[in-house]
Amino acid sequence: MDDILRDFLVETNEHIEAAGAQLVELERDPSDREMIASIFRLVHTIKGTCGFLGLARLARVSHAAEAVIGRMRDGARATPETVTLILSTIDRVKDLLARIEETGGEPDGDDSDLIEALASHAKAMSAGAAPAAPARAPEAAPQSAQPSAASPAAHEPAESHAPRAHKPDSIRVTIEALESLMLLVSELVLTRNQLTEVTRSNTDEAVKGALQRLSSVATDLQDAVMRARMQPMSRVFGTLPRLVRELAAQLGKKIDLVAEGAETELDRQLIELVRDPLTHMIRNCADHGLESVEERVAAGKPETGCIRVSAAHEAGQIAIEVSDDGRGLDCARIRRKAVALGLASEEEVATLSDDDVCRFIFAPGFSTAARVTDISGRGVGLDVVRENIEAIGGVVSVASTPGAGARFSIRIPLTLAIAPALIVSIAGQKFALPQLGVVEVVGLGAESPHRLETAQGAPVLRLRDQVLPVCDLSELLGLEAGAPTAAREERLVIVMRVAASTFGVIVNSVDDVQEIVVKPLNAQLANIRVFSGQTILGDGAVVLILDSTGVAATLGVQRTSQYRVAPPVEPVAPKEAQSRIVLLRAGPGVSKALPLSLITRIESVDATQIETTGQGLVLRHRGRLTPLLPAAEGVQLRAFNQPVLIVGVGGETMGLLVDDIVDIVDAPLDIQIAQDQPGVLGSADFGGAIAELLDLAHFIRAARPDSVMRGVNRRFRILLVDDRLFFREMLAPVLTAAGYTVTTRESARAALALIEKGVTFDAIVTDTDMPEMDGYTFARTLNAHARWRETPIVALAAHVNEKTVAAASACGMRAVAGKFDRKELLRALDEILEKGRLSIQTLEDQILAEVGA
Amino acid sequence: MIAIDALPETDAARTYGDELSCFVVYAGGAMFGLPVDAVHAIFRIQSITPVPLGPPVVLGLVNLRGKIVTAVSLARRLNMSEGEPAHVYGVAIDSGGESYALVVDAVGDAMTCRETDRAPTPTHVSEARANLTQAYYRIEAGLLPVLDIDALFELNPRRSRHENRAQHEATHGADT
Repeated sequence: MDDILRDFLVETNEHIEAAGAQLVELERDPSDREMIASIFRLVHTIKGTCGFLGLARLARVSHAAEAVIGRMRDGARATPETVTLILSTIDRVKDLLARIEETGGEPDGDDSDLIEALASHAKAMSAGAAPAAPARAPEAAPQSAQPSAASPAAHEPAESHAPRAHKPDSIRVTIEALESLMLLVSELVLTRNQLTEVTRSNTDEAVKGALQRLSSVATDLQDAVMRARMQPMSRVFGTLPRLVRELAAQLGKKIDLVAEGAETELDRQLIELVRDPLTHMIRNCADHGLESVEERVAAGKPETGCIRVSAAHEAGQIAIEVSDDGRGLDCARIRRKAVALGLASEEEVATLSDDDVCRFIFAPGFSTAARVTDISGRGVGLDVVRENIEAIGGVVSVASTPGAGARFSIRIPLTLAIAPALIVSIAGQKFALPQLGVVEVVGLGAESPHRLETAQGAPVLRLRDQVLPVCDLSELLGLEAGAPTAAREERLVIVMRVAASTFGVIVNSVDDVQEIVVKPLNAQLANIRVFSGQTILGDGAVVLILDSTGVAATLGVQRTSQYRVAPPVEPVAPKEAQSRIVLLRAGPGVSKALPLSLITRIESVDATQIETTGQGLVLRHRGRLTPLLPAAEGVQLRAFNQPVLIVGVGGETMGLLVDDIVDIVDAPLDIQIAQDQPGVLGSADFGGAIAELLDLAHFIRAARPDSVMRGVNRRFRILLVDDRLFFREMLAPVLTAAGYTVTTRESARAALALIEKGVTFDAIVTDTDMPEMDGYTFARTLNAHARWRETPIVALAAHVNEKTVAAASACGMRAVAGKFDRKELLRALDEILEKGRLSIQTLEDQILAEVGA
Repeated sequence: MIAIDALPETDAARTYGDELSCFVVYAGGAMFGLPVDAVHAIFRIQSITPVPLGPPVVLGLVNLRGKIVTAVSLARRLNMSEGEPAHVYGVAIDSGGESYALVVDAVGDAMTCRETDRAPTPTHVSEARANLTQAYYRIEAGLLPVLDIDALFELNPRRSRHENRAQHEATHGADT
């Protein structure tokens, strides 16, 4: 196929998607002249190009459609029939394009049915529009006299303006080019990791500085290439108006569609994968969720039901929601059905909350519709939606308010190419276990309340109220023949969830958390289903990547009959609700507490493993050195079995020496008394016990200053606004080198536009003196909005004097820095953001986002 | 890892007309030839990551300058016992779009095999071994079997049997 034809196909397909959505809009507001003009231009372009490429069928069909749209442009009103007719034309064009793509040429066939329908409709329209036409568009009169022949020629001048109006600011890049770029970036990231490992002991500042720059550039490059692979959700959203229109017609309901966040970008690989689940949930809302017009009126609701679709970035993931304002889920019916299907007993069902009960709708074979309808009852259930979403590492959940509607929420990762993984040891060999699906890590040591038990000859783990099947990975992989029982007791169980089943895998230890670049296995090894790929770690070691789905399959975990209602995996930070808290004793005084989510693992070490160096205490463990700090003053050093909490940020770990682990409790993180004491955030009541919550940031800063630089600081996003390119170019690298992520804008308006889109920043640095809108007005505008008031603003002034400081402070700005005083700028930002960093929630979010990034 | 990248470009390393240049490698106490053209590098193996549940001939994965290659034991591939010290050298070879390290006990010289020195397949050689051999040459030290690279890295027995039959039918007709 030649290049011109291929370009034509790609471009036309894109335009056609857009046109479908526009036409539905048009039906709602037929007076939108701009939209008619845009649709007309599109159809005309297709027609023109087809003629040039010798695609006769396409040319004839688009010509006939152009005549109808031409009438609309001349003022004829678009009726639902008009829209239906044009939509079916678009379908025909799509079919033809698909065939051309397959065979390289137009298929044989006849479109006279469609062409005739279009022609007669065009005639009817011009007759109906005749009275109005002269008033609105004087030049329309001669055209209606000779419809088909005159119209294309007459519209030529209008068309010639189009290219100028739509000057593209993007270029086409092949997918292969992007993929090879991605591959190179992956290699670069690996090399960077190796270099970091090699130079870890190097104290040369020049080397360290250069490496740090390389590191941040590599990270930025990775982000940039990742972004280049992204496509806006509008690629999926564009097809929804038509879907909803068809559903409304088939069901005899009135439905409005509201789509938000169409500009949210997602890896192109994933965008196609969310299309089907999204479509299915919309069908479900239209069919089961929304009531008929009569029912709605009787319930005092507006006649027209509303389906709302939204997409947004949230903590390194994409959150997609589909909600309706219909009747909500019928929990009583779901309870009955769950019992009837044997998913739960009547007693169990009675004790479950409505929210828990709602999750049953994702169980295999579950459909609440009393009758199978044409719309959502096509043998595809919500269980398939759940499976598809979980297959790409996402979670789906539903919430419902009786009488007010239901809301489906999906969270999926931004990309699949780079994944955070636990590096685990199994019988002396390291493996990578992707964090997707890892629920928690449970110790089996003496101090742990959890024990392995045997049920029907198979090992199980009793975890709170659940009994989980457990798989010894060393046995599964055939790595170990009968290790001593004592050693077995010190191992860890990693609790995983794959699809609907939860199970545990036994490993010897979790050594590290790293971001791994997933590489495919040699084709001749690809049939080993417990591995999904291979990767190189920072120290150059090659490790195999365990495939949780494959392990589950090998383990024979049934997934159809054993569907359990379990809370969805929350891979993000613990929410304000309940967190798992480790209570411990460290020194005299009250107990200390630390969220379990921040602890990588718990080690029991002997005094011989601990050494004193110039920098403080160091733990020598499995050939690695980990800095150690006592969790509080007065921790007793023991000869044997000293518990050490290993905590990690971005793959770098440190240890906290404690006296004893007391308990693990579920409690909200709610500090009642804040404290100034270093290392302690404050006191709180953890399930009846008063304890001091440790400030992990304090310890990490003390033990691993570099990792805080890289891991925590880097996450702060700064918006730099200055009308002069010179200052933007001078200051952006300064901020970047200090570990911030910088976005620049050349005016306050452009900055506001960015913020209004929902892009958030940790701080804004703005020039005070700018044309159009100065920095003070900009700051006042931001402060007037509750959402943005919290964002600290730093003023950049040519000269810092009392007047500028007073003016800045009057506008709610937090600091003023001279344009050439970069030290002061960095100091101001550091001070402002330091305060933000100390809140528990942000710290946890940041550390977890870093670990999970 | 010591990589011998710049292979000496002597006369022996080139192919002239009916000559074939080979590296001599040792595995399981025997001597084999590998066509020079197929060999990217010869390096000393530092560490191998085993692949549990993988076929026995696959010793594991090796990091060759930031690239992961699959290490295949030549001795095990030929159903021979491994010599001492085993797994020392890796010969980097690409086959079927994948990268391998053929693990051998020792590496000898490069040498030129002339068409005139070509020998028929010795009768005592098993069929399995013969299938992995491209040709035999008489050299000073004895008879040198030059290995067939693509056959060597066809590890999946079912597929190779199928292919063998396809090849058999292609050469001998489908009348058997």
